[in-house]
Amino acid sequence: MTVVGRHRTATADRDLSEELARSALTLARRFAGGATMWCVAPEWPSHGRHVAVEFVHPVIVGKRALPAMSVDGAEAAESLRLLARPGDIVLVVSTADDRDALDLLARAEAWGLSRVWIGTGARPTPNRADHVIWTSNVDPARAARSGDLVLLYHLLWELTHVVFEHPGLLEEDAGCTDEVCITCSDEGRVAEVRTVLSDGSALVVVGGRSETVDASLVDPVVPGDLLLVHAGVALTALEMTRP
Amino acid sequence: MSARPEPTGFLYPFIESEERDSSGLLAALAISAEEKIDESRALRAASLERCADVLAHAGAAMARRFRRGGRLFAFGNGGSATDAEGTADLFRHPPHGHALPALSLVEDRAVLTALANDVGYELVFSRQIIAHARPGDIALGFSTSGDSVNLLRAFEEAARRGLLTVGLCGYERAAMARSDAVQHCLVVPSESVHRIQEAQDALMLELWSIIQRHLEEGELT
Repeated sequence: MTVVGRHRTATADRDLSEELARSALTLARRFAGGATMWCVAPEWPSHGRHVAVEFVHPVIVGKRALPAMSVDGAEAAESLRLLARPGDIVLVVSTADDRDALDLLARAEAWGLSRVWIGTGARPTPNRADHVIWTSNVDPARAARSGDLVLLYHLLWELTHVVFEHPGLLEEDAGCTDEVCITCSDEGRVAEVRTVLSDGSALVVVGGRSETVDASLVDPVVPGDLLLVHAGVALTALEMTRP
Repeated sequence: MSARPEPTGFLYPFIESEERDSSGLLAALAISAEEKIDESRALRAASLERCADVLAHAGAAMARRFRRGGRLFAFGNGGSATDAEGTADLFRHPPHGHALPALSLVEDRAVLTALANDVGYELVFSRQIIAHARPGDIALGFSTSGDSVNLLRAFEEAARRGLLTVGLCGYERAAMARSDAVQHCLVVPSESVHRIQEAQDALMLELWSIIQRHLEEGELT
């Protein structure tokens, strides 16, 4: 391996490690707040089950059992719409172009879930998840079985338990509670349509809360559609990631 | 849910509960992760080297069985059960090369829970071997400890019935590594269950590649 190659690997490892650290802090805080972690690996269901068993049944005696459940298959979004509560975590293991994964992650934002995306191969486009833990420059089919992928969630588990040894850090940072919060007021937010009302408005879920929005600009909408909403108005329908 | 201190918390409870700035912890976690990534890579490389002969022999023997119509039965507990599933999936739906008949004995919840309930968990895999296996088949078991009783029973049953037996385990002194019923045993010496599992994945992928190479060569001759 050339010096340049080694340098690139080292930088990639550092970025990956820093993201693992931030993800572990998020997970520990959500778990401390009572969250359940929903694990979904559409293409590799065995990885979804593996993540869940790591958290539920720790390999190290004395570590606490944490609520993690795997949900299988293409209907994961339908199941999680019913099962997940705002503040829960969804952990997705997939490649960047997995349509089921992309669809679920977009909905999870509307449902108010923390989204951790673990994957391999080409990196996803930005802002698809709160945390993106990725091992690039490898063939995904190979990484899925070579230990590269399992290493990522093993480390996430290990680091999450280290965070639990720091109870002072388990309280959340101050969230966006006031009206000037940039994240919430200046940017459009993803909403999922629940009910279409007769007057051109729609009942949606956004950030885990129900809201009525003016949907006349994006008419017609049907339940399950994903919309970008801003200040009570649906600006555009998100291109559906699934047919 | 309130944060319950870990067992080491009593050493400095005041400092910990007063801790508010996460930057120090994040930096320490990142360093720890980087070290573990290196450790995992090194163990995987060392395990591939260390097990090269066993891999070559097991791969050749497995390829021979597949060529004659043999099937693979994979099994394990917990995380290793998911390795069994993932392996069966890799053999049946390979990214390239030959699709091969492989099943995981943890896949059917009805069978697994019926056996566990009625005859005991030690027999959940051996009973399935009795029901399904034919002499030309292959039994493949994953364990990190190498001491799981249900795996040992399954290997004994499989060996009795003329199956080829291949095991992956974590410790040289493990029962699986010493058992005559396990013909080819891939051992990954490490104190970390997680690092062992990662190395077992790498070994399994290599074993699959060797089998694929044999099958391709077989086509040419």
